[in-house]
Parts: sequence; structure tokens; C-alpha cells
Amino acid sequence: MRKVFVCELRRLLLNKFFFGILAAVLLYGWLLLSGEVILGVAYTAPFSPWSFGYYLARLLPLLWVGTLFFLTFFTSEGERRTAVLTGATAVDPRRFAGVRCMALLLGMLLLLGAAVLLAAVFFAYTLHWHDWGSLLLPLLAVAVPPLVFAAGSGWLLGGACPWLVYGWMLAPFILSALPLPEALGLWNGTLLRSYPLTLPADPPFTLPAAVWVAQGLLLLAGILLLGMRIFRRGRL
Amino acid sequence: MKISINSLSMTYPNGKQALQDISLELESPSLVGLRGPNGAGKPPLMKLLVAGLTESAGTILADGAPLRENETAYKRRLGYLPQSFGLYDELTGERVLEYMAALKGLHDQKKAVQAVLSDVNLEEKRRARIRTLSGGQRQRVGIAQALLGEPRFLIFDEPTVGLDPEERIHFRNLFSRAAQDKLVLLSTHIIEDVQSVCNRLIVIHHGRIRFSGTPQELIRMTRGHVCTFSERPEEDAALHITARVNTADGVQCRAVARTLPAYAQPAEPTLEDAYLYLIEEAET
Repeated sequence: MRKVFVCELRRLLLNKFFFGILAAVLLYGWLLLSGEVILGVAYTAPFSPWSFGYYLARLLPLLWVGTLFFLTFFTSEGERRTAVLTGATAVDPRRFAGVRCMALLLGMLLLLGAAVLLAAVFFAYTLHWHDWGSLLLPLLAVAVPPLVFAAGSGWLLGGACPWLVYGWMLAPFILSALPLPEALGLWNGTLLRSYPLTLPADPPFTLPAAVWVAQGLLLLAGILLLGMRIFRRGRL
Repeated sequence: MKISINSLSMTYPNGKQALQDISLELESPSLVGLRGPNGAGKPPLMKLLVAGLTESAGTILADGAPLRENETAYKRRLGYLPQSFGLYDELTGERVLEYMAALKGLHDQKKAVQAVLSDVNLEEKRRARIRTLSGGQRQRVGIAQALLGEPRFLIFDEPTVGLDPEERIHFRNLFSRAAQDKLVLLSTHIIEDVQSVCNRLIVIHHGRIRFSGTPQELIRMTRGHVCTFSERPEEDAALHITARVNTADGVQCRAVARTLPAYAQPAEPTLEDAYLYLIEEAET
């Protein structure tokens, strides 16, 4: 299956879309870092986990779109026509779906990694700051759950109708324009601008319990949906 | 390879019956032609044979083992070209075939890909992206992926559609060579393909097998039911005209009928005549 994995990854990454979305993530990320994050969020340092979390939350819609675009390689009408050939091979459908899931998640992580690397370079060269370990928690809390959910939910929708994936790409943009409860405050960026102000000075990174629950549910739902896709009989 | 189909029926969820009580034995080496009008049930039969559909009743045995219980092992011996299929447009033909070889679990993928590219005369285009290939070249990539790994049972659904006459002859010969030690099932509307290479013909109509035997047997069955005559002003409802040809003496008609009219001259049936007569008889 290694060959299949490499081939799937090549399909996802060696195309105009990937380089386009990568350029958009890097450009928008740079604008965020140099325009907003450098000032610090909620009176915290520019390199604080809060500012970094805010940076990721603002980049989230683009990363969401990138993840769903990767998914279109597996859910498009063209892919369905190809499935009549792949479905007649002796490959185990579950292993095949698992390999595709891994390729999708790796593609998603590469996009996210590019955004993180950009921030790391920015912090190192502009602010001479290198304490990368402190950024891990906001990375895991802010970015990973919604992206895993995007992969799982997008797969479910794309399996029902390929065009639903494109509609689903708009979800974070719509959410970012809505007044949301605190538990969903990461989606429109309000939480990380306001919550640190309620804490003592120079607070360690933490989130309200409702946000942890919401992010945990998103991650769990994403994993379950991906698992359903892999373990149910039949191909993508 | 021996495929035994026993009392196979297939009904879609909407209640439409695609296949009714099909029983067949297919054994290698053999090149079996499958013909039938549109909607006769050929695609469902082929989809059942590649485990792409679930039968409503009956069984399919591959070398004596139920297909459903040995699907993976069965598919290792299977090569399939559907009538309508997609390929990864962004990849080259060679990459697509390597991918399919990996899915088929072939060990020496490069060697297998080179062999089938040579078989389908696509070596020069192996580095071309699928989206840049012509319809005929895409079809050849489709045929090549079916041939990967030298499967013992090959199923081709309209494989020569989109190919020019020279390519069609090439592939007919290729299928014929493959059938020397394999079982090849060839569904086609092109009667020349059946006539020239198939040693057995199955005709399916309204989901039932109407004929199973050699093309010669079908032709023999039609003797005395084919005629030619000069076109007449009045239509004869008992005749089913299969061809009209403009000649210096007017329009000459060729027709099939259960009883030939006195004004017509009996003619030696072709396979096309025999097939049309069979379908006409099944309709009445």
C-alpha cells in the first residue's frame, strides 16, 4: 500500500491548487503576523500562545478550505467514475480508505505546518524568540479539532453529493461573521481577543471549559466520521 | 478458470428486474461474446461478475467457490474494463497503470506496466497526462489496466468503442491471443468483433439468456428465415427489414421473418441476421 499512499499524496500535493492555497495561506499569514499579531492580542506578547492561537484562528477558514479541497480528489464525480476500476481490484476497501485518509491528513498537516513554520520564522527573525514548545497547546486546541472535523464531515457530505463539499467550504466564513456563544468563540476570533483580559496578568494559555468541550466534541466527531468512512464497506 | 452462474436474478431497489434466472457455465480457454439490445441486462450481469452488485437470488461460483465468500482471491484473477470509466486526468498513463498495479497487489509493477503498455501500443504516450490523450488512447489505457497482472478472467464491456478500425483489429487479435489460456467475456455491439474472434456467443434480452452457443449454431438456426427482395410500396408486417441498399435496379431489402414471402429470395444468414431474428422472435 506504500505505493498507493505515495501516489495519493502526489495527486493531492503536485497540483496547481495545492501551491495556490499554500501561497494564500503564507501570504495571509504574513499579513496577519506583520499587521495584527506583532501588536500582541489582548495585551499579551506577540509571541504569546494567545497571539499565536489568534493567528491560527484567523487562518482557520483558509486551512478548512484547503482540507476540503484535498477531499474533492476523493469525492468528485471523476473519482466516482474511476472507482468502477479501483473497485474491481483485489485491494481491501478498508485499507484503501485508510491510506487515503492518511494522505488527506498528511496534506492537511503540511498546510498547517506551513502556517506554523511561517509564524516560527517570523517570531525568530523579527522578535528573536524561540520558545516553540509553548505554541503546541494552542496549535492542538485551536487548529487541529476543526480541521479533523472538516475532513470527517466533508467526507460524509462528499460521499452523499460531491458538490456539498464546495458548499461546506463556506461554513467557517459564515461562522466568522456571526455573533457566536463563547464555546464557539474560536470560529470568529472573539474569544482569544477577550478571554485573556478576564485572567490575571501574563496568564498561561488556557481556555474556558465550554471551549474545551466544543473542541473535544469536534475532534471526536471528526475522528468518528473518518473512522466510519474507513470501516464501512465500500470505497470512497 | 471456471465460472458457474446458477439461477441468478437481480432486482433493483426500485423493483425493476434486470436479470431473471440466469444460468451459465463459462470455462477457460474461451472468448465469449455477450450481446443484447440496450437495457437487456448486460451491465448488471457484468457488475455481478465483478462483485460490484449484490445478486437478489442465485449464486456465482468461481472455480467452485462462491464469489461472495472469496471476493479478494477472485478479484486477484480478474481484469475488468467497464463501458464507462474515469481515469486520473492529472496523472500520466504510466502513473495510472502503476497505481492500478499497486491496487492489484502486483509485485513487479514497473515490469507489468511496461508489458501492458506494449500490448496496447501506448509506449510513446506513457509520459503523457491522461487529460491530453484522445478518446481512443484513454480507452487503450483502460484496456491496459484490465490486462495488468495477466488475470485469468477478463471482462470487457464495449472495449473497442472509440478505436479506429486498425486499432479495433489489433485489439481483437489481442483478445483472441489472451483467450488462448484465459477466459475472456466480451460485451460488444460490434458484430464483427464477435464474428471474428468469439468461439461462443451469449445473447441476453429482457434479463434472460436467449441463446448460448457458437456463432455458427446461431447462424444455422436462422437458415430459411432470411431473404432479399426489391423494395415494395406496401409494408409487410411479417418481415423485419435489416438492411436497405440502393442499387442500379432500385432499393434492395434484406429481411428476417419466421415465414418468408413468395416474392422474396432466400438468403444465407449472417451473424447479424441471426441475432436480429433471435431478438425479433423473443419480442413476439
